[in-house]
Amino acid sequence: MFLAPDGCELEIVDTAAKFLSRSIPLDRLHGTGASPALKPDVRADFATMGWFGLVLPEADGGNGLSAVEHALFYREVGRHCGPIDILAQSLAAIVSDEPQLRRALLAGEQCVVLAVPDGQSLRLLGSHDAPLALHVERDRGRLLDVSAIETAACPSLDPATGMRTIAGGTARTVALSSDGDVWSLGQLGVAAMQVGVAESALALIVEYAKVRETFGRKIGTYQAVRHACADMALRAEAARCQLWSAAAALKEHRSDAHVHLDAAKHLANRAAVVNADVNIQLHGGIGIAEEHHAHLLLKHSLLLARLFGSKRTLLARLLHAELEV
Amino acid sequence: MDLRYSEEDDEFRARARAWLQAHVPQSSRPPRGRAAADFDRAWQRKLYEHGWAGIAWPKEYGGRGLTALQQVIWYEELARAHAPHHINTTYVALMHAGPTLIARGTDAQKAYHLPRILSGEALWCQGFSEPNAGSDLASLTTRGVVDGTDVIVTGVKTWTTDAQHADFQELLVRTDTRSHRHHGLTWLICDMRSRGIEIRPITTMLLDEHVNTVFYNEVRIPRANVVGDMGDGWSTALATLSFERGTGFIGDQLELYERVQRAIQLAKQVRLEDGRFAIDHDDIAERLAALKAETMAIRAMTLANIAEVDRTGVPGPKSSLMKLMVTSTHKALSELIGDTLGWEFLEFDGNRVSHPWTYDFLWSWVYTIAGGTSEIQREITADRLLGLPRTR
Repeated sequence: MFLAPDGCELEIVDTAAKFLSRSIPLDRLHGTGASPALKPDVRADFATMGWFGLVLPEADGGNGLSAVEHALFYREVGRHCGPIDILAQSLAAIVSDEPQLRRALLAGEQCVVLAVPDGQSLRLLGSHDAPLALHVERDRGRLLDVSAIETAACPSLDPATGMRTIAGGTARTVALSSDGDVWSLGQLGVAAMQVGVAESALALIVEYAKVRETFGRKIGTYQAVRHACADMALRAEAARCQLWSAAAALKEHRSDAHVHLDAAKHLANRAAVVNADVNIQLHGGIGIAEEHHAHLLLKHSLLLARLFGSKRTLLARLLHAELEV
Repeated sequence: MDLRYSEEDDEFRARARAWLQAHVPQSSRPPRGRAAADFDRAWQRKLYEHGWAGIAWPKEYGGRGLTALQQVIWYEELARAHAPHHINTTYVALMHAGPTLIARGTDAQKAYHLPRILSGEALWCQGFSEPNAGSDLASLTTRGVVDGTDVIVTGVKTWTTDAQHADFQELLVRTDTRSHRHHGLTWLICDMRSRGIEIRPITTMLLDEHVNTVFYNEVRIPRANVVGDMGDGWSTALATLSFERGTGFIGDQLELYERVQRAIQLAKQVRLEDGRFAIDHDDIAERLAALKAETMAIRAMTLANIAEVDRTGVPGPKSSLMKLMVTSTHKALSELIGDTLGWEFLEFDGNRVSHPWTYDFLWSWVYTIAGGTSEIQREITADRLLGLPRTR
């Protein structure tokens, strides 16, 4: 029993943190050249580092690591509002059962976005030019060829995530997996990203509160700020620890792993959205400026909150869920 | 990172479960007074005789020398067996005085007190807060004047839980009258039967008398009862924290989880004023489910804290977050049950056995105030965990 990152896990966190702050810094989302796309050279760097094959078995060309490393990596991705393509691409490699396709996915040569339900149709989240889309449900994952169908780019509140609607045509299924693992890893990954967002929001305001002065004092000396920061720390701590529970439960194939996952996703959603909100408020005027990172965290958390279980669905499931004792 | 228990942990759990099944008292704890204290003593005595006292205390002090995780397992099994709650009249002795003596006591103090604490023979109370020193504990003014081999104490302590049942008190007094704040304080072992002590119970909003005001009129305490150094009482008071590894709340966690499950059953049976079952109201269902997630997080926080302390060797900075989490969850659940129940929720006359939900609801303010208010916990978090600038 050791419910915290340790040993090699910490090394992966460190490597990921360094790599991501270089390859997808939050600054990419500001200014006129800002784009939600995972650029080809960056996608290639991810592939070179092996991030797309982190949890794929070694026999299939992956790194054979567990749900724990998966959670640790996506928490770091979340801090940078990383493109959802990264998760879609990794999960697609698991769904794909054809070696050539899998190799292309791991190498970043085939680009994948995430397909999510949108009324009777699907909506595509991620880079606009991707020819493949992954649609994940609780009991299956489908990799779709969307290159031949008609899509329409639409505006996106979240600068980190491009959105397209499907205007016509039928997507062809390229690969299908019919077990729940893809959903579980997707849910864990998004919960982890939300934890990263919640922690980033806390880090931003704590840093600012140490230097910004009003009425001749650092704002970090005012209880109105201090107590709100402590509450942010608590939300992040609860979500992070439940994320560890969910990751370890999934790694160990516990029968109640899905309950831990639903709880983790719910707590992470709340921590991310509320912390991002409070971070803006406590920054004052600068908090609503486009040039500041604060709004990026809020907008990204609102998007992630709808993926792999939104509040209503998660709570409805949790109400009747039973834990293994 | 893993959630697996070792073979020793599993064996320990199995032994604890089997023993508790055979030994948990059949009768329920009397709700108050001397009878409640006697019940707690008898239960502690039984734990001591069967080797279940001081599970994580070092062996040399009569403990079992087991791990923090096994301590957690023990609390979980206590809650599962519906055994007497560990937060009772033995709590200050076992969770506070004992650890402080282990960290800072003299050999003679340890030899005399530790066995009595573990066996339930001696109950302790805490003498820290004063009428004008609560959250701001360092402003305390109860005075201790050295006179030969004694310290003569004069002053007032308050909010003293179970003072009327306690044999000893951990008493923090100002022995250097020219000193300020954290300096010049001394931590004393006070025999509650000493001459010059008067105890006045305070009736609380729960209609019970678990807290008291204690008056000291030139109470003589031997200098041999100083724990740590004279004038170094603040550091002695903090030493207890180095023993605390954030495991004390795990029993509450399991209890809170079970309470959420019971509240869900309750909501399936109770009809609200519109005639529909409470559970069929979306707001109530959502609040119940969210509380279930929060009680799960409390367990995760406890286990993560043990792991972090094991790795870094630095205890404590997150125990304030733990207290905030447990007490706010307790309060939210109590409020929700109040919203669910009908008029019987308001038929309360102080009987915690017949009206446990109302009693628990009122108890939530004890929880969020005692042992450092929620506001103070946020201050500690801002200082120690977040490193924000301070003005205090």
